[in-house]
Amino acid sequence: MIEVQHLTKRFGNSVAVDEVSFVVQPGRVTGFLGPNGAGKSTTMRMILGLDTPSSGSVLVNGSSYRELNDPLRSVGALLDAKAIVGGRSAANHLMWLADSNGIDRRRVGEVLDMVGLGDVAGQRVGTFSLGMSQRLGIAAALLGDPDTLIFDEPINGLDPDGILWIRNLMKSLAAEGRTVFLSSHLMSEMAQTADHLLVIAQGRIIADAGTEEFITQNATASVHVRAVQQTELADALTQRGGVVERSPDGGLLVTGLDCLAIGGVACAHDITLFELQASRASLEQAFFELTRDATDYRAGELTGAPQGA
Amino acid sequence: MSTTTHTTTLRARPATTINRHLKGEWTKLRTLPSTWRTAALAGALAIGFTAAVDLAQLTRASMNAQQLQGFDATSASLFGVIIAATLLGSLAVRTVTAEYSTGMIRSTFTAMPGRRMVLGAKAATVAAFVFPIALLVDIAGFALGQHIFAGDHLQVALSHPGVPRAILFGAVAASLVAIIGVGLGALIRHTAGAATTLTLIIVGGVTLGQLLPAGLRQYLPGTAIQAAITVHRSTGLLTPNTAIAVLGAYAAIVLAAALIRVAHRDA
Repeated sequence: MIEVQHLTKRFGNSVAVDEVSFVVQPGRVTGFLGPNGAGKSTTMRMILGLDTPSSGSVLVNGSSYRELNDPLRSVGALLDAKAIVGGRSAANHLMWLADSNGIDRRRVGEVLDMVGLGDVAGQRVGTFSLGMSQRLGIAAALLGDPDTLIFDEPINGLDPDGILWIRNLMKSLAAEGRTVFLSSHLMSEMAQTADHLLVIAQGRIIADAGTEEFITQNATASVHVRAVQQTELADALTQRGGVVERSPDGGLLVTGLDCLAIGGVACAHDITLFELQASRASLEQAFFELTRDATDYRAGELTGAPQGA
Repeated sequence: MSTTTHTTTLRARPATTINRHLKGEWTKLRTLPSTWRTAALAGALAIGFTAAVDLAQLTRASMNAQQLQGFDATSASLFGVIIAATLLGSLAVRTVTAEYSTGMIRSTFTAMPGRRMVLGAKAATVAAFVFPIALLVDIAGFALGQHIFAGDHLQVALSHPGVPRAILFGAVAASLVAIIGVGLGALIRHTAGAATTLTLIIVGGVTLGQLLPAGLRQYLPGTAIQAAITVHRSTGLLTPNTAIAVLGAYAAIVLAAALIRVAHRDA
């Protein structure tokens, strides 16, 4: 479990993380979603005791990270997979980590096999592709069999197989009762992986909700419909309280009414439908709705906010 | 994942933590191939230079009576340790700066959040690694040098008073330079900057130090290393004991500054 209270980080005059409070619960995958520079990485670094908060506090499994003995046994983290001295072999890189926390060296081989790097255990990590480095970083996070796992943008550089593998891994780790905290700016990925979402923009948490709930609350579901008597249908639907727009392909985009209601209206007016398709509200839509005013990088307006990625 | 047991980590004793930090840092140091390449290079260059210089310059024919009087066959065969100390010192610098420049320092500090203890473990590990190599350089240099000097009957025996101390102090001086290197690495964080600073402190002190009055010059780190490996007392050099104490003070000051700094900066 990760408990963050009134966490603030200032760099000079700019505020990277602004009075952030949240709890990351065990047993589910919590996604940390936000645009670049929103404060995700800074928050994660503060959780891990790497950056000192300007104010506020963070507790990991009930204690401050810097107070943990053998921290790799309770928290595993992947921040930047390429941040590694290239001259060591993958196995040796994991071995110093194991030695520093009193972890049995046999565990090194186990986690390398688990992430599919068993065959390149003796290869210099400097020669690894980004995807292989990500796998090594995940192996390092799993090394101490920790209760809490923190991953910053773990799917960067992975091929589709790797992404599927990570998604299943995150879910199985959470199913085992662990706390899984995962940041990403890839919303479609989060929609498929995270059970719970923390949305951050400009250093503030702007949503803390279940993924389904977040989508339902923040994005409107719409129905795409085409009819022979298009204009009549549009009028009838508007009368029933729907909001109707023309879609580029000549159909109608209806919000506020579901397929059942639209079908009913069409039947009552003897209108022939030849297409009726509900489009599920996406996380993208919800995210853009929510962050429209909070994003640093709107077209035509560049601000000098620090890169937090 | 093999198990799902959520055990409460027992509060480890500080001694256990220190041991694990030392073990982790030692594994880091020995698993980097460049560590061994640097050690081999330092040994080869130090012994090679000693042999070449001793062969080329230090012959009875080229020295006048006064020079012969002041000739210290021990320090003349041990000066290679200064070369070894400089190269191994830059290795010590890299144990810190390579982690900062790649960002791996963040893995180190998440695995071992006690930053002062990490830096202390690094300094201890590198100093312990450097010591036997420098001692080997000293012993080989001494044997080789005395063999060369024997041709001119200028050799000293290992049993001669002050000789074992000079050999030992050469290795101690190299270890202290390694500690200075770790400290500079943590303060400067860039390999080139920290390694250049270290080289200037040692070699530059010997050359640019000529501009300083002798009374000050003898306290320069490079001059102090020279003094540590002498047997004869010579003007402008500290006694070996004082020289080692001065080097120890430099190492303590640099490391203390680094320890203060490392805990307060974001990684």
